[in-house]
Amino acid sequence: MTEPAGFDIRYTVFEDEVYLRKWLSSEKMLHYFPMGDQKEVDEMIPSWIGFAKWNCSLTGMIEGVPVAIGTLFLMPYRKVAHHCMFYLIVDPAWQKKGIGFSLMKNLKHLAKDYFRLKMMHLDVWEDNEEGLRLLYKSGFKEITKQEKFVKENDRYLARILMNVYL
Amino acid sequence: MNYNIRYMVPEDAPLLKQWLLEPGVLRWFPMINEREIDDAVRVWVSYSKLQAGLTIEVDGTPRGMANLYLQPYKKLKHQCLFSIIVGEGHRGKGIGTILLDNLKRHAKDTFHIELLHLEVYEGNPAIRLYERSGFVEYGRHPDFLHAYGHYQSKILMQQFL
Repeated sequence: MTEPAGFDIRYTVFEDEVYLRKWLSSEKMLHYFPMGDQKEVDEMIPSWIGFAKWNCSLTGMIEGVPVAIGTLFLMPYRKVAHHCMFYLIVDPAWQKKGIGFSLMKNLKHLAKDYFRLKMMHLDVWEDNEEGLRLLYKSGFKEITKQEKFVKENDRYLARILMNVYL
Repeated sequence: MNYNIRYMVPEDAPLLKQWLLEPGVLRWFPMINEREIDDAVRVWVSYSKLQAGLTIEVDGTPRGMANLYLQPYKKLKHQCLFSIIVGEGHRGKGIGTILLDNLKRHAKDTFHIELLHLEVYEGNPAIRLYERSGFVEYGRHPDFLHAYGHYQSKILMQQFL
């Protein structure tokens, strides 16, 4: 799948926070993240968008408007600095159009070529079928599954730890 | 053993740093130098304001600490990671077991933790303590730690309380 016409990628800037906040206001989207409500989103967004200052975050745009953000959460300790976890989010209105895959490809390049990372990893809830499809397509493999990691409205979900060597 | 368990307090920070700086200890932690230790100690001790950390004193002297890294998000609050350390010269005497038993009770009774888990690097002798205490391995993250010229896996262990 090729990305839509007018698609471009640049480094994330702090001002992209507005879009992040907007996408995470969708209850469906929020379900796949650790944050559970707007207050938790408000508390978490500064640390997410804060990584922009290291140029380790990319924003995908259509005709100049942000539609996706992928961020490497670089590790603060040297012994573990050869890998990192990351987040990738696509505007709900622009999903299933190849944008996530394209941004993922570029994020892996950034991780490998600029930050010299050897691997990237991510926790995914077991019911995130779309996210898991994207990760498998991008070369990720399941490392382990931890049952009952998430408890939402008295319903438990496992987290699947996905990893890729770069 | 004449011991006492109390909440960890910010004043425990220098002792924690001292234990982490003892020879061989950093091999089992992700930190590699004093700057990184200072950062890790700051985060560890910050949980004292939530009364999530415990310190064990033997004959009135602190000999070990353990901490619950309580989750900030509601949907993850029923589970958490923890860390534990016993000072050099006081390991293998049951101090870690007592501390861990108290931490598990504290996690369950005070914070309603249902799932307690930990991350430990392969080869760490503390794995025996965790196994004896009922923790089971549920996965390994290969090549997680890179130090002294080679890679080590991170072993993931858990216990439902």
